[in-house]
Amino acid sequence: MSSSVDRRSFLRRAGGVTAGAVLLGGGGSTLLAACGSSGSSGSGSASGGAKSFGALNYRLSWIKNAEFAGAYIADTKGYYKAAGFSSVNLIAGGPTADLAETDVTTGKAFVGITAPDVTSAAILKGAPVITIGAQYQKNPFAVMSLASKPIKVPEDMYGKKIGVQAANEAVWTAFLKARKLDASRITKVPVQFDPTPLTKGTVDGWFSFITNEPNLLKVKGVKTVTFELADYGYPLVSETYVVLKSALTKDRDKIKALLTADIKGWKGNLADPALGAQLAVNTYGKDLGNTVVEQTLESTSQNSLIVTADTKKNGLFTITPELIEQNIKTLAFAGLTIKAEQLFDTSIIDEVYKEQPGLI
Amino acid sequence: MTAVVIAAPKAVVPSRAMTFGRLLGLRFLRALGSIAVSLVVIIALWYAFIKAFGLNPLVAKDPHAVWKYLVSDSSASANRRKIESNLWRTLADAGLGYVAGTITATVCAIAFVLSRTLERSLMPIALVLRIMPLVALTPLLTLVFGRGYVATTVIAGIVVFFPSLINMVFGLRSAPQAATDLCIAYGAGPYTTLRKVAIPSSLPAFFTSARLAVPGAIIGALLAEWLATGKGLGYLMLQAGTTFDYNAVWAAVVIITTVSVIAFAFVGIIETAVLARYGPAPARGR
Repeated sequence: MSSSVDRRSFLRRAGGVTAGAVLLGGGGSTLLAACGSSGSSGSGSASGGAKSFGALNYRLSWIKNAEFAGAYIADTKGYYKAAGFSSVNLIAGGPTADLAETDVTTGKAFVGITAPDVTSAAILKGAPVITIGAQYQKNPFAVMSLASKPIKVPEDMYGKKIGVQAANEAVWTAFLKARKLDASRITKVPVQFDPTPLTKGTVDGWFSFITNEPNLLKVKGVKTVTFELADYGYPLVSETYVVLKSALTKDRDKIKALLTADIKGWKGNLADPALGAQLAVNTYGKDLGNTVVEQTLESTSQNSLIVTADTKKNGLFTITPELIEQNIKTLAFAGLTIKAEQLFDTSIIDEVYKEQPGLI
Repeated sequence: MTAVVIAAPKAVVPSRAMTFGRLLGLRFLRALGSIAVSLVVIIALWYAFIKAFGLNPLVAKDPHAVWKYLVSDSSASANRRKIESNLWRTLADAGLGYVAGTITATVCAIAFVLSRTLERSLMPIALVLRIMPLVALTPLLTLVFGRGYVATTVIAGIVVFFPSLINMVFGLRSAPQAATDLCIAYGAGPYTTLRKVAIPSSLPAFFTSARLAVPGAIIGALLAEWLATGKGLGYLMLQAGTTFDYNAVWAAVVIITTVSVIAFAFVGIIETAVLARYGPAPARGR
């Protein structure tokens, strides 16, 4: 996030777009506020941010909890404005929301956060969308159980009742196949997202986001045990960015701008997980009734899904070709036969880092 | 025809059977006609809606897309099988719920008519079932009744129960005073009066409830499948919606709507048939 980095990249771009400097206006002043540094840095950056992309409609994959810490930080610190957006409209998802793919397809959102299994299904059904990057390098799904009745490894699920949400069924099925588990020996129970039935004993296991439900119960004093799908042969990225395929060419700069802002925002959360949690609880998801303690736990545990050796080397949200291959194989287990180039296009995120290597 | 319905003279039956048969035929044709008209109106509104709001064809499927999905595509027969197997489950869920809700409502209504005290003390409880949003109540119900047929029957039954109860109480009380008086004059007790006068008089109300309740039972069944059992069209729609399978969503909506319209019309036919035989005079010969 250092301003020298910004300036370097912006200056380089400014060389090509000298005319852009004329368009300074409001963008320049917000940039000043955002960078909080000297005037020369501000005006230098402004020529890069002079491109005006208007408002950014950004569809989240879930309710406004700490899952989107990076976006809250990017918004609060003005990174989106610095990148050329007049404002950002964070659209909440949730158990009753449409798919992010649907919002992107219908133009309600420019970008959406989702997961590759859903995106693959949508693409195979004709949705003109594509994945351009992934926040979570590791799959966040886990099976949670009570410590008093633990399910420690996948095979422990035999003879047990596992609560699985309809939205997560594709992941569930794929995991059973990938791990070669006998589905007939596990009772799948349709559940919603509040893990109370687990605490009441109506189910023995709960399909969860490792960052979410276990922490919800932890702060309530319920001891749980989890195993993560990622640790049992299930490589699948998550919290992926989807945009319209046509945007890859038409709105390439706009996509770069939003990724740049998000990278800075997420770096802010990696440095201080409590920051995103506080913004989630006190500002963006104020009416959700979450607590800072629990959301900080979530924010911290999700950082470990975001940072890997690869992202340290290549930058946040990048997906290595090897990981893409593994993802495609995992998806095939779910009956989603899709080619890598149909689902992923990492050229934009790679370009972002090529143009602004300081962001890594 | 007399106002009292106690027992129709046997001699009248043959001539009445003819008119009855014709009446039923007419009613059936009328039902078919109304189904056809509703279908045309629905399809026209459907196209108009998509056009007026400029909806994306990938998400908002038009009647032609649904036709292709169910009839003309290469995968159509597989699609139909998927919808059909789930439809039977939903109909079973709704049917059980309807029967359970109606029986409970009828028993309660009779009890309420026989005892005002009972009505005053139990009606608020019945009201609770109506006021509480079922979506909020369902997780609690699944804790108690599990996630099988019992749960769907209870949930669909609750949707059916309250309107049926109110209608039935009203219907049972709408018995003509003269007929009631006659029974009492001949020494009939409350049960005989109920059987001979109040229940036949309540038949129109019973069918009004049925018309409300049959679509209600289907909604209840879909809700139960969505939230509790994970089977049937309710869950199919949810699952299809989460996998961008909007063809399946729309096709399921079309099928369940059509089935509801047919069920509604079917209740009308039974209503005509039953009221022509047993109903109070004003309901006959319509």
